[in-house]
Amino acid sequence: MVIGPFDLNALEVAVRLKERYGAQVTALTLGSGKAKDALRRALAMGADAAVLVDDGQMAPKEPSVATRALAAAVRKLGGLDLVLCGRQSGEWDFGQVGALLAEELGMPFVPFVPRLEASGDGWRLEREVEGGLLVVDVSGPCVASITNATDNQPRLPKVKDIMMANRKPIQVWGPVELGLGEEDVGEAANRLEVLELFIPEVKSECEFVEGDDGAAKGAALARKLWDRKVI
Amino acid sequence: MFELSAEDLNLSAEQKEVLAMIREFARREVRPAVKEYEPGDRYPHPLVDRMKELGLFGLTIPEEYGGAGLDHVTYALVFEELSAAWMSIAGVLGTHSIMAYVIARYGTEEQKQRFLPRMAAGELRGGLALTEPEAGSDVASIRTRARREGDAYVLNGVKTFITNSRHGTGLLVLAKTDPGAPKPSRGMSAFVFEHSGEVPGFTVRRDIPKLGYKGLDTCEIAFEDVRVPAENLVGGVEGEGFKQVMSGLEVGRINVAARAVGVARAALDDALRYSQQRVAFGKPIGRHQAIQQLLADAYAQIEAARQLVLFAARKKDRGERADLEAGAAKLFASEMCGRVTLDMMRVLGGYGYTTDFDLERYYRDAPLMIIGEGTNEIQRMVIANRLLEKYAL
Ligand SMILES: Cc1cc2nc3c(=O)[nH]c(=O)nc-3n(C[C@H](O)[C@H](O)[C@H](O)COP(=O)(O)OP(=O)(O)OC[C@H]3O[C@@H](n4cnc5c(N)ncnc54)[C@H](O)[C@@H]3O)c2cc1C
Repeated sequence: MVIGPFDLNALEVAVRLKERYGAQVTALTLGSGKAKDALRRALAMGADAAVLVDDGQMAPKEPSVATRALAAAVRKLGGLDLVLCGRQSGEWDFGQVGALLAEELGMPFVPFVPRLEASGDGWRLEREVEGGLLVVDVSGPCVASITNATDNQPRLPKVKDIMMANRKPIQVWGPVELGLGEEDVGEAANRLEVLELFIPEVKSECEFVEGDDGAAKGAALARKLWDRKVI
Repeated sequence: MFELSAEDLNLSAEQKEVLAMIREFARREVRPAVKEYEPGDRYPHPLVDRMKELGLFGLTIPEEYGGAGLDHVTYALVFEELSAAWMSIAGVLGTHSIMAYVIARYGTEEQKQRFLPRMAAGELRGGLALTEPEAGSDVASIRTRARREGDAYVLNGVKTFITNSRHGTGLLVLAKTDPGAPKPSRGMSAFVFEHSGEVPGFTVRRDIPKLGYKGLDTCEIAFEDVRVPAENLVGGVEGEGFKQVMSGLEVGRINVAARAVGVARAALDDALRYSQQRVAFGKPIGRHQAIQQLLADAYAQIEAARQLVLFAARKKDRGERADLEAGAAKLFASEMCGRVTLDMMRVLGGYGYTTDFDLERYYRDAPLMIIGEGTNEIQRMVIANRLLEKYAL
């Protein structure tokens, strides 16, 4: 069990913030008992605590359901200044958890963040936008989804931290601890179903436009384009 | 591509994580650096600094002395991983770990506290100084002399082929304290010698140019009236050095065998990739039976060697005597590595012989495992003598 690539970037950003300002970093994941391996890596990289939301009694098949469970855990943790997540998961790449989490928690959401720093009583975040960067200020806590950048490459854990990580407790919470019912995270809560996964076929063909001279070829080309509604 | 699977090895979460980290370190940092340092025989200082940071120098040092206290199975697998990327990098840790083992096992409590935490931090980076110009396999005939003078021992002698002696900061030196001992092996003692700064009388005389194992310092060193504090005599009692060092070599043989597995594995890995890409006579060469024979034999031999390494390591972890098993692993794995690297070069054809590919490096590095840490001829003697002793009529 490994951590998704962007989640590793998010973790790195969190640990750097901790090193800079001093903080308590909690790694949170939703999954089966196997996900504890991933949480141990997070602890070895510098997280102070780890929480596994055990999905054994849940059916988090779509992001909204998964997020409901995660949001309940975030609320239970309480007193947070910042919630970071990866830009998208390493499996389905839905890229929704950050936004949905912000909605559930009633916090502002900033996506595609490569780096951020403390500012006033909140945060100053850089956000990647088409062809550039956008800088935003948020007062109070927010949710940010982290994208990869050269300055947030996940660090390798040290041997001793790996050993320590294996001795730290990992909290495990199920629907009971989180106060979630069947209607929140059960089978029936899922309304989205993936029907098919496929790689679209891209076809290309090549056609030579015939004609006696340039003008005739030009006219023939124009006709073809007209027929295909290109012009 | 062709990596060992942690699942098959029944590793603990801790062992798996350490290995995963080492593998990432090898892939992200070691591999890309090889071409920078190996061809010019340059010491990879930045990589060594990173190994310090990651805590690799303390891998097997007990936790109460600042190390990670890992077992020999993990130790072997780490050496395999590092060697699959670059054997020389494993060399930085090799004799250092033997020195640490000897201190941890035979040192006095005061010595353990004085040396091990600094060794674990990679501040005191050690090596092993046994071999001399006139004494290689025949360790008992060394001439380096240690004479007690007040609160110090005065060392005189020349050691050669000493890995980590230029860039390291310490050595475990084997010297004669009683040259007249009826049993020469009982007249030797081991000393912890530190040389992080200038030490009067100690010189690194020459860097020995070599076929492979490049980037790493293997030197001839000299001691001329070098004073070593008496409290650096390992265990505090004279005459124990030979036994202490030989026990350390048991661990050394596990590490050399693991390195051989790593290098051979890297060679097979490259050959597997190449044989699917290179086409000859209308098909990928991997589909030609002659190439398949080479690949299959390589795989079987590598796995067999790895099992021998793990067998010895597990025995050691149970606290049992493992000289027979470590010797067998070293003998088999190193000979295997020599054969496999040449065979994989055959798979790559002319390209395998060029420095554009890594294979020629594996091929150049392989013979060291046959010769170092006790030649295979000596290994066979040790194994046979042990068998005759164990199963004596
Ligand atoms: C790159 C490199 C790094 C090294 N690093 C270190 C180090 O860090 N510290 C250290 O102390 N040493 C180190 N060595 C030395 C190494 O351990 C010796 O080279 C090795 O033990 C063999 O000794 P020798 O070279 O003197 O060979 P010799 O002992 O002279 O042997 C020559 C040949 O004779 C054979 N032979 C010898 N005796 C017998 C016998 N009784 N029966 C049958 N055959 C025999 C040997 O197997 C060999 O084939 C290193 C060597 C190399 C090449």
